[in-house]
Amino acid sequence: MIRNYLKVALKVLARRKFFTFISLFGICITLVVLMVVTAILDNALAPHSPETRSDRTLGVYALKMRGPENVQKSEPGYGFLDRYARPLAALPGVERFSIASTSQTAVSFLGGKRIESGLRRTDGEFWQILDFQFLEGGPFTAEAERNAQFVAVINETTRQRFFGGKPALGRTIEVDGQRFRVVGVVRDVPDLRFSSFSDIWVPISTAKSASYKDKWMDSFQALILARGPADLPAIKSEFQARLREAEGHLPDPKNFKTLTGGADTLFEGIVRSNVEELPPGAVRAVMFLLMLLFMLLPTLNLVNINLSRILDRASEIGVRKAFGASSRALVGQFVVENLVLTLIGAVAGLVLASLVLEALNASGLIPYAQLALNFRIFLYGLAMALFFGVLSAVYPAWRMSKLHPVQALRGRSV
Amino acid sequence: MTRHLFKLVWNRKRTNALIILEIFFSFLVVFVVATLGIYFWDNYQRPLGFSYQNVWKVSVDTKGTGEDSEAVVAARLKTFARLLDEVEALEPVEAAAGTLVSPYDQGGWTSNMKIDGKSIDTEANVVTPGFADVLGLELVAGRWFEEADEELGWRPIVIDRDLARAAYGDQDPIGRPFGKAEPPEKPSRVVGVVRDFRKGGELSAQGNFMFQFLGLKGEPSWFQPHVLLLRVRPGTPAAFEEDLTRLLQGVAPEWSFRVRTLTQEREAHLRLFLTPLVAGGVVAFFLLLMVGLGLIGVLWQNLLQRTREVGLRRAAGASRSDVHRQVLWEQAILTSLGVLLGVVVVIQIPILDLIGFIRPEVFTGGLVASTVAIYLLTVLCALYPSAMASRVQPAEALRYE
Repeated sequence: MIRNYLKVALKVLARRKFFTFISLFGICITLVVLMVVTAILDNALAPHSPETRSDRTLGVYALKMRGPENVQKSEPGYGFLDRYARPLAALPGVERFSIASTSQTAVSFLGGKRIESGLRRTDGEFWQILDFQFLEGGPFTAEAERNAQFVAVINETTRQRFFGGKPALGRTIEVDGQRFRVVGVVRDVPDLRFSSFSDIWVPISTAKSASYKDKWMDSFQALILARGPADLPAIKSEFQARLREAEGHLPDPKNFKTLTGGADTLFEGIVRSNVEELPPGAVRAVMFLLMLLFMLLPTLNLVNINLSRILDRASEIGVRKAFGASSRALVGQFVVENLVLTLIGAVAGLVLASLVLEALNASGLIPYAQLALNFRIFLYGLAMALFFGVLSAVYPAWRMSKLHPVQALRGRSV
Repeated sequence: MTRHLFKLVWNRKRTNALIILEIFFSFLVVFVVATLGIYFWDNYQRPLGFSYQNVWKVSVDTKGTGEDSEAVVAARLKTFARLLDEVEALEPVEAAAGTLVSPYDQGGWTSNMKIDGKSIDTEANVVTPGFADVLGLELVAGRWFEEADEELGWRPIVIDRDLARAAYGDQDPIGRPFGKAEPPEKPSRVVGVVRDFRKGGELSAQGNFMFQFLGLKGEPSWFQPHVLLLRVRPGTPAAFEEDLTRLLQGVAPEWSFRVRTLTQEREAHLRLFLTPLVAGGVVAFFLLLMVGLGLIGVLWQNLLQRTREVGLRRAAGASRSDVHRQVLWEQAILTSLGVLLGVVVVIQIPILDLIGFIRPEVFTGGLVASTVAIYLLTVLCALYPSAMASRVQPAEALRYE
C-alpha cells in the first residue's frame, strides 16, 4: 500500500513541476535557516572537545550584587570564588574544581607586526576538567601554577602567527609585556565555547599584580566537575547556600545587600549572563515559540499550495471514493505524499545548509568557528521536516476527504 | 461592481481566508525589516558630531574595583595624569584625553537629571579637557573645559544641542545650574554647548548628551578614566603602536593596555549591528520570494478551476481587459484585507507605546513602505495568472467540463 502511495506521490510531483518547485523551494529555505541556527547552537552548547564532559560540568559564570539604588553585574572575581565556591570541592559528588579567568585581549609585537590574542589565566585543574587535544607537549601542572612559572599553552593559530607553524615547544612568546615559555600546543577552540576558548593559556599566578586575589567582581569563572550528572542538583543547592553565607560578608554592605548567581550548565550560564530575568526553561520555550513563528509563514504557504493541488485532483479523488476508499485512507495517502515532498526538500536543505555553514566558517564572522552538520543536527532537521510536512498536509487532506464523490467526479471544487 | 467583487471573494471564503492570512504574515515580516532598515538609515544620515579618523583608542585596565580606598584611587589618577603627559609629549601625537567611555563603546553611562522640575534622561561621559580637540567636537555656544576648571568651586558641564533644547527650551543654557546637588557635592553649571555627540556612532539614535569635567590632579572623583584617546598626525604608521605600548607599560607596569584605532572600533561596531540586520533581510527576502511564487501557483490553480465562469463572462461580451481587471481587483481586495489586518496589529505599537525608540516618522515610513511592497508583490504575482485566464476562448471554456 505504502509503495503504491509512494509511486503515486512521485508521479504527481513529476506531473506538476511548477508546483513541485515552489513547494520544494519553500521547504528548502525554511529548513536551511532552521538548520544553520541549530548548528550554531549545537556548536556552542553540545559536548564538543574540549568540553566533552559538559553533561557533568557546572560553572559559576556570572554574579550580581544588588542594593537599594545600585546594581552591579559581571563575572565573579577570584577572591569571591576562592572563598565561597572552592568549598564545593569538598562535596562527595565533586570530582574536580578549577578557577580560571575569562579570555582577555592581549597584544604582542613581533618584528613590528601586531598580534592580538585572547589570553586566559587558569589553574592546573582546568586542564583535568576540560579535554583539550594536544598537538605538542601538554598542559602546565598545578605546581607550575603555585610557583608562578612563566609557561604557556597556545593554540594552533597562535603557533602559526608566532612561529610560522613550526614546532613551538620550549620557545618563548611575549604577550602584554610578559614572556612565557611554550609547554603545549592545542587544537583551535571555537570562540563560541565561552568557558574554554582562548588563544593562549597561562597560570593565574603570573598576573601582573596580586590585586585579583581579593576581588568579588572581576573576570573569572569557576568550573566544577561532578562525578555524574545525578550529582548536579546537590552542587547547585550547596552553591546557593554558599551565596547566602557570602551575603553576610559583602565588601560594600552600604550600597549592596543581596547577591545572586548560580552553578550553571553552559545553557543556564548563557541565559544568566544575558537575560537573567527569565528562567532557562522559559528561554527554551521562547526559542521554541520563535521557531514555530518562523515556520508559520512557510507552513501557510505550503497549505495554500497543497490545497490548490488537491483540488486539481478532484476527479481522481472522486474515483477512489466511488470505489469505496475511506476518508482515513485518503488522508493517509495525502500525508505520505506530502512527507515525500518534505523529505526531498529536507535533503536539498541539508546540502544547502552545509554550504552556508562552510561559507560562514570561511567568512571569519565567528572566530575559529568550526560549524558543521553532524548526525544530531541531521536528526533535528529530519524532525523539523516531518513536523513541517505533517502540519502542512493535515488541513488540505481533511478538506479533500470531505469531498462528495458525485461532486468530485464532476470535477467540481469544494 | 465593487459589491459584486466582494461577493465573489466571499463565495470562496475558505480558500481566500488562508491567502489573506498569508498576506497578513508577509506584511508583518516586511514591516519589521522595513522599519528597522529605515530606522538605521535615518540615523546614518544624521550628523555624528565627532570625527573618528586618525584617532587612536587605548583601553586601560587599571586592575581597580569599586572597593578601592580613596588613597588607592588618588594614586591611580596620578599615574593616569602621568600617562597623559608622557603621551602628549610624543612626536606623532597632536592631542590626548582621558575619558570614561569612548565612541563606539558597547557600554555607557546614562543619567537621569531633574532640571526645572523636568525629569530628563541623558547619556553622559566624564572627560579631560583634551577630549574636544581629539574628537573635533564643534562648539556652538559658551566654552569647552580648561585645565583651570580644576580650581572652580563648582562643576562645569558641557551639553549637546538636543539636551539644551530638552532641558532649557529656547532659553540660553550658558551659566544655568544643571540639576540639584546634595550639599557635600559641588553644584553643576552649564558652560558650553556642542553641536552633536552620538557616542553609539552612525547607527545609534540622536539623543541627549552631557560631558562632565574630569580633573586628574585634584581630589579624586567618583569617576575614573578607562580610556586614553589620542589624535595622531595623519599618516602615522601602525608601528607607532609598539612604541606607544612600551611607553605606557614603562609608566604603569601593573596595568594592561590595548591599542586600537577608532576606525577599527567603528568597523567592528558597524559589523555587530549590520550582520544580524543583513542576515534577517536575506531570510526575509527568501520568505517573500517563497510567498510570491506560492501566490502565483495558487492563483493560477484557482483561475483554472474558474475557467467556465471566465468563459461565460467572455461569451456575454466582456473584453479580455475586463477579465484581467476583475482578477486584479479580486487580488487587490484580498491584499487590502490582509494589509488591513496587519495595520490593525502594527498600529498597537505606537498606541500602547510598546517600542519606545521608534520615532513616529520612522514608524509611518515603515508602514507605507511595507504596504506598498505587499501591494506590489501581490499584484505582480497576479499578473501572469490573470493574463493566462483572460486568454481563454469563450467557446472552449464553455465546452470544458
